Amino acid sequence: MADTTQGTGGLIYDKSKRAWPNEINIFIALILIIGVFEALGQILPYMQGQSFLFDTSGRFDSIFNEARLKIVILQVAIIGIIALGSTQVIISGGIDLSAGPLVGAAAMIVMSFAQTELVNGNPNPKAVFGLWAMDLPVIVPVLVGLAFGALIGAINGSLIAYTGIPPFIATLGMFLFARGISRWWTEGQPVSFPTEGFAALGSGMMPVFWFLALAVLFHVLLRYTLYGKRTYAIGSNEDAARMSGINVKRHKVLVYMIAAMLAAFAAVVLSSKNLTAQAGMGQFYELYAIAMAVIGGVSLTGGRGSIPGTVLGAMVFGVIQSGFTYVKLDAYYQLMAMGMIIVGAVVLDKWRQQRGAKMG
Amino acid sequence: MKKTFIAAGVASLLSTSAMAETIGVSMALFDDNFLTVLRNGIQEQADAMDGVEVQIEDAQNDVARQLDQINNFVASGVDAIIVNPVDTSATEAMTAAAEAAGVPLVYVNRQPINVDTLPDNQAFVASNEEESGTLETIEICDILAEQGTDPAKIYVMMGELSNQAAVQRTQDIDDVIAAGNCKVEIQEIDRQTANWSRDQAQNLMTNWLSSGEEFHAVIANNDEMAIGAIQAMKAAGISMDDVVVGGIDATQDALAAMAAGDLDVTVFQNAAGQGGGALDAALKLSKGEDVDQKVYIPFELVTPDNMADYTSKN
Repeated sequence: MADTTQGTGGLIYDKSKRAWPNEINIFIALILIIGVFEALGQILPYMQGQSFLFDTSGRFDSIFNEARLKIVILQVAIIGIIALGSTQVIISGGIDLSAGPLVGAAAMIVMSFAQTELVNGNPNPKAVFGLWAMDLPVIVPVLVGLAFGALIGAINGSLIAYTGIPPFIATLGMFLFARGISRWWTEGQPVSFPTEGFAALGSGMMPVFWFLALAVLFHVLLRYTLYGKRTYAIGSNEDAARMSGINVKRHKVLVYMIAAMLAAFAAVVLSSKNLTAQAGMGQFYELYAIAMAVIGGVSLTGGRGSIPGTVLGAMVFGVIQSGFTYVKLDAYYQLMAMGMIIVGAVVLDKWRQQRGAKMG
Repeated sequence: MKKTFIAAGVASLLSTSAMAETIGVSMALFDDNFLTVLRNGIQEQADAMDGVEVQIEDAQNDVARQLDQINNFVASGVDAIIVNPVDTSATEAMTAAAEAAGVPLVYVNRQPINVDTLPDNQAFVASNEEESGTLETIEICDILAEQGTDPAKIYVMMGELSNQAAVQRTQDIDDVIAAGNCKVEIQEIDRQTANWSRDQAQNLMTNWLSSGEEFHAVIANNDEMAIGAIQAMKAAGISMDDVVVGGIDATQDALAAMAAGDLDVTVFQNAAGQGGGALDAALKLSKGEDVDQKVYIPFELVTPDNMADYTSKN
């Protein structure tokens, strides 16, 4: 496990330089945060000794409050899917700011191909296309979404790889362009009332299933395949990667395409879960996805980080969000606290890295 | 010879632009469902009239961009301006810019902070948010009383906290209870914001449910959040017959949820009516006619009994 978290670009990992893998640190932080909320539940008088994570009222068969366990991960699963892509882009030394607006645009387009003809026996009041686009098999909207994602990702990647403009600028342009698409598609009108088959994709705990399944898939790809080795190599030292014979440009396009397709798939799950697509969807998702990756130990300078780290980073978000509601923290303070926690986590990680470097 | 052609061309350009009334519209945000209906209300009414042109701009929720748009409208010589303010406390500068140029200005939907000191050629067209939350809360109280649920425990879902409507609609709930207009005793368990969003409301409701506390009603500041709460409760296996859920806006999605027996109360705000009303006021002001400075388009309570009347309105 230890030697997988380091994007060493093919270099051998030196065990003496790091006491334990980064994921353990994040896991400990996660436990500490849960501990803080448990303690608050006992200390705060209005909480009446409720437990954050454990079942104290005998509502469930297990010792855990199962409803809490579920929401902690369910509420971060969709942004988590995007974070899997952001992780790969950042490891390769880039950044993708366009994911949030891409979710909005993809959701609008996908939902337009997922509508049902009749709503409560009446024609669909939000129909985008004619009858030909009604009650299509569920694979159609999914493929349309993935194709749209691939196209956007190819544009992002090609701009970055072949014109040499910074990823920040290229994806900032796409950030605006994609939000434009989502508004233009129906001139701001929401698209609602999908088929039952489409609604099943994101119902219940399905978002969590997709998140974890995709996490396993991309963990394997990053750790065991040439794709992963090249991604880390490019992020660690692009010139060295090029000289060692990697087609850096083509690989970058591939990484951005994968990230955009993951964001488009997140849009499929999001619009299915909500049974609607709205032009404003996905606001700030790119930033939360990047924050999840960074909290999970992905280095913004590239070459370092892992999928399991990002999954844990997402869990930190889920626990904090759920914990705030649990202690009934006033809505005004929630964003302030969230901002401090994100910055604090990265500062801690930086200190830890510097200490690790000195020890070596 | 050439010069005459150019002069004739310029003259004809000038004359056509002088014949048509041009109204500049600055909307706070294009990708908001309700504001889209309002925007379409302006556009459709303008299309139906002869010689009225509207130019609609998106301020993208940015106060500075909106002021720039207004100054641009003034510079390009529009006959009147309609503003749907991004920030209701940042309207003084807009009023001043239009007043200095002598261009009539109509605020629509969101009440500007200087509503009581507007100059003569400016007006405000909206619905009174004191009605919306009040209608919603009283109807929910009545349903709870009919069920015999007394005292009743409730959750409150608030819209974006920087938004006047969210603040007022939440205040309405408190006012109804404080004034003794609720037929049952209300015990509020918690109030949180879900930022008008269905997805955030789903997460918030699921978080509330995981505490396992008993509750009887959810009062949401808008329909999207009410629907999110319903989806979360259904996913948790709660029968929608046991919980009273109310929203505001009477959107198509909300009416479908009401038809399915999930949503109990919503309130219709006549977005298209506000848009049309704002255009009327702007046209009258540009012709120098008198207009009431506050034009209120009433809110309407929507329940399963009368929802059929609203299916084609929003």
